[in-house]
This record gives sequence, structure tokens and C-alpha cells, in this order.
Amino acid sequence: MSATTPLAASGSAPAPARTRASALSSLRGRGNWQLWVGGTVLALIALAALLAPLVAPYDPNRQDLTMVLTSPGDVHWAGTDGIGRDLLSRLIYGARVSLGVAGLGMALSIAVGVGAGMLAVFGGKWSERIVLRTIDVQLAFPYILLAVAITSAVRPSFGVLVGLMALAGWAGAARVVRSVALSERGKDYVRAAEMVGASRVRIARKYVFPSVLPSVLVLAPMQMSAMIVFEATLSFLGMGVRPPTATWGGIMLEGKDYLADAWWITTLTGLAIFVTALSLMLIGDGLQRLTGQRIDAIGGTVETRKEGAA
Amino acid sequence: MGRYVTSRLLQALFIVVAITLGVFLILRVTAGDPARVRAPVFSSPEVIEQYRADFGTDRSIPEQLGSFAGGVVKGDLGESFRFQKPVTELIGEALPRTLQLALLALLMSVCIAVVLGVLAARHPGSPWDWMASAVAAVGQSAPVFWVGLLLSTYLAVKLGLFPAGGYDGFKSLILPAFTAALSIVPTELRVLRESMRSTLRQEYVRAARASGVPEWKITFKYALRNASLPLLTVIGVDVGYLLGGVIVAEVVFNFPGIGQLALVALNARDYPLVQGITIVTASVFVLVNLAIDLLYTVVDPRIRLEAA
Repeated sequence: MSATTPLAASGSAPAPARTRASALSSLRGRGNWQLWVGGTVLALIALAALLAPLVAPYDPNRQDLTMVLTSPGDVHWAGTDGIGRDLLSRLIYGARVSLGVAGLGMALSIAVGVGAGMLAVFGGKWSERIVLRTIDVQLAFPYILLAVAITSAVRPSFGVLVGLMALAGWAGAARVVRSVALSERGKDYVRAAEMVGASRVRIARKYVFPSVLPSVLVLAPMQMSAMIVFEATLSFLGMGVRPPTATWGGIMLEGKDYLADAWWITTLTGLAIFVTALSLMLIGDGLQRLTGQRIDAIGGTVETRKEGAA
Repeated sequence: MGRYVTSRLLQALFIVVAITLGVFLILRVTAGDPARVRAPVFSSPEVIEQYRADFGTDRSIPEQLGSFAGGVVKGDLGESFRFQKPVTELIGEALPRTLQLALLALLMSVCIAVVLGVLAARHPGSPWDWMASAVAAVGQSAPVFWVGLLLSTYLAVKLGLFPAGGYDGFKSLILPAFTAALSIVPTELRVLRESMRSTLRQEYVRAARASGVPEWKITFKYALRNASLPLLTVIGVDVGYLLGGVIVAEVVFNFPGIGQLALVALNARDYPLVQGITIVTASVFVLVNLAIDLLYTVVDPRIRLEAA
């Protein structure tokens, strides 16, 4: 029931007036400010990224050597960097990479996670074992090292980063999907369907998959939030999309050399990352309250730990 | 217990060997020639060939693997291409610093999580509770390197309270450790608050309260011990995140530790150094996980460990 309202509220695309009104009243009734604040902020950032050529005051790569390290003011609202590029324009263009990598990475991660989770529940004993083992190995391995190793082997590009995001997220998603699907499969109505001879594929698609959706919906913005931070971290370590393309992490890496002279470069860029990630967290939190779903990625890990230790 | 530890150590050995082998092969089959990186620009082919011969990268991969494995068994990790020094010496310098940093970060994160988590659990809906939620949410959305750069800009560069970077005694550890700690505070805090809350609702806590045991004693002596079990689990899982936080903190504060060394080694395609760092970090990682599993039995004597 509530699976449709959050989409209408949080997406940047304007919904038809009537759906919007009903979504609004249902949200008001529940007093969910998180979804509204998060959704509005994210929509603004996404809009700026989408319309970057129209919104950005300058060309993000144009160097103005007479205006090197200008502090924020009338001419350059967010100041300029070490070679006189307008920081605000670079931030706006950087949002494209950031939201693009995190958004696509999240979609891929969720898709793989749903596939793997459902396979673990419906694929039989062997696929369950293989999937669970792979999840354990993936979660046990410090993925920052994995990412560093991969980006040093292959030239990091937009596509590679999307893949890395998916690699960081799919196991968590698969674990959540599996636990929800497993409990749904044990319910009486699903067993009844099984008994009257419904095929496994039919049960998976018709009965279990819809029950997985709310959790996935809650998980998606949370994963995307973590990926925004992760992508920025990789770029900061020099393993993101190559310069001169503006990326938030890359801007901060360059700004690190000007801490004493130009506080605005690192401070404002970090603020952009923080606000974007926080807005996604708020959306996740709001959806959590709205759907009554509690995603506890940590809870999942506690479970396996006990299996190994007790 | 003895059998359990032996079996876990064997597993750990297997994991370390597998990871090292993987890194060894990935380095050699992917693009990038260490000789070209090392040689001065516009070197003649002969010079580059000479570097290859010096590095031993002109030999076949099985040959290289053989001499590498032979060295490892004798405790020799080879000589770094970039620094022309034994890898063990380079790691021996950097590793203790990084371990200091990581331990201090862990200590700080646990202190923050315990203090805030206990206060929040004891007073639901209070400003403490609110603050714990805020710290958890902010800590998760604020990139660690941003917080590190802010601390560096304002506390070190502008106010001069701390050294802005490098390694120079305890004072130079504080800011990087705090930065790295922030990478794991949110999860620790959340888990501890949650488990503390449910522990405080237990019968035995009420019984203790009814028999007049002082509140602080109930909280710290009885409840915290049980509530800290999930915290231990989280720490085990988060060692990887902590490692990430430490790498970032090292870069932000120019801290000469393993993380920085690894990044330099990767960029220079310094095979022996990368391999050496891989062996050492992977070993530390699996040993820490084993130590945490053993700690379970100390914190909760009901748990018994069996060989898996």
C-alpha cells in the first residue's frame, strides 16, 4: 500500500496532482518530516546536476589565472581553486558524477542483491550454499582494499566505479532480501500455494517478491547515501574518475594543498557531500517509518557471527 | 579450545595465502610496467631492459612466484623497487605507527560509543538520546576525510593546537586517530544503545534495582557487560572499515603509515612492497578476527568455541 507513496514524494519527477495530494495527506497524517526534507534537498541537488550547463555560473574547467584562490564573494559565490576555476560550477558538475555513480551503483547493487537473495531462497540447496558463502567472503574482505586493488589494476572510469559501488553493496542487499523472503516463504498462504502445486518460480514472483519490495525500498536510499561517501572517498584517494572531470572527492584532494590559504575548497565541497548523503539517509529513515520496515544490516551480521562462534 | 584455535589458524593461513597469490597474479597480468615507472622519462629501451633484469620482472611468472615464495618462507619479502630497501624494513617502520593509530582510534570510538550509548539508553528521549542519534546520523553521512580536513584546517593549521601532519609523538596521533575513529563510531553507537536499552529491561536488572543496588553499579557492572557483546561483534565486522578510516586519516594528515605506503607502492607498481603489505595486513586482519572470537568467551562464559 505505502509502496507507491514514497516514490511519488521523494522522486524528482513531478507526480500528477492527484497522487501528489493523496501522498501529501498520508504523509501529513504520519508526520513524516524526514521524507519531505530529504526529498526536497535531494531533488534540488539532482535538478542542479541535471541542468548543470544552465545553472552553473561558469565553465567548470575554465581557468582564470587572475582569480586564483579567490575567497567566496560576489563574483565567485563559492570562491575559486588553485588554478582559478569557479568552485560552485565544479561542485554542480561534480554532482553529476557523484549522483550518477551512486545512483547507478545502487540500482546495480540492489538488482544483484535481489537476484542473489531470491536465488538463495528458491534455487535449491547448492545455490543457497554458494550464495551464502560468497556473501560471507564479500563481507569479510575489507572492501576499501578491494577497491584500491581494482582501481590500481584497471583505469578507474565511470563504469568501473559503478561496478565498485555494486560490489560494495550487493552482499548487504542480498542478505536483507534473503531474510525477508525466507520468512515470507514460511507463511501459511505461501505454503498453501505450494501445496496446491504452484511452481517455485510462480511463488517467488507472485507471492514472495512483492513482500520483499518494501525492504528494498528502504535499503535503496541508505545504500545510495553510503555510496555517495564511498565514491568521494575513492576519488579523494586518487582512485576516482580522472581529472579534469570535476568530482567531489577529486576537488577535495586538490584542495588539501591549500588548507591554510583557501578553507572554502575543502570545507564547502565536503559540505556538499555531507548534505547529499544526509538527505538520502533522511529519505531512508522516512521510508523506514512509513513502511514500518526496520532494516538492520548489522542484525544480519550478528546472526552469522553467532553461527560461527557459538 | 586448543583444537578450535588450531583449526582457525589453519583457515587464517589459507586465507592469507589465497589473498597474496591473488594480488601477486593481478599485479602481473594487469597493465603497468614497474621498470617504466621507475626509469627516468625518455630512457632508452636498454635502460628499461636493465631495470627489468634488476627487478626480475623479465622472468616468467612461475619463476617469479617461485623465488617470491622461497623468500617468504625464509622471512624475506624482497627489496622494494621504489625505495631500494628491504620490504621488511619499510613495513617494520610503518606498521607500528599504523597499529598505534588504529588502536588509539578503536579506543576513542569505544569510549565515545559507550559514554553516549549508555547515557542515551538510560535516558530515552533526553538530549543525550537526541545527541546520540545526531552523532550516528552525521557520522554516517559526513565523509571521514572531510571531518579530518576540517580538524586539520581549523584546529591544526589555524589555531595551531595540534601538528598538522606527520608522525611526531603522541600529540600527532590525536587528530588522525579521532578521524579514523569516526568511521566506526556510528555503528558502534547504534548497536550499543540498542543492546543497552534491551538489557536494562531485563528481569535481573529489575531485581538488582529492587534489592537496592546503586544505579551506576547496575549500569556499568551488570548491564554493560551483557550489552557489550553485540558491540564486540560489530567491532569484529568493522575492522575493515577501521582500516579504511585509517588509510584515509593517514592521507589527510600525511601520516607515514602502512596506508600511505600502500598507496605509494601501488602507484609505483612496486610489486614486492605491495605483496609484503598484503601479507601483513591480511594476517593482522584475520588474527584480529580470531582474537575477537576468543574474547567472546571472556565476556560471555556461556559461549563455547568449537572447531568448525
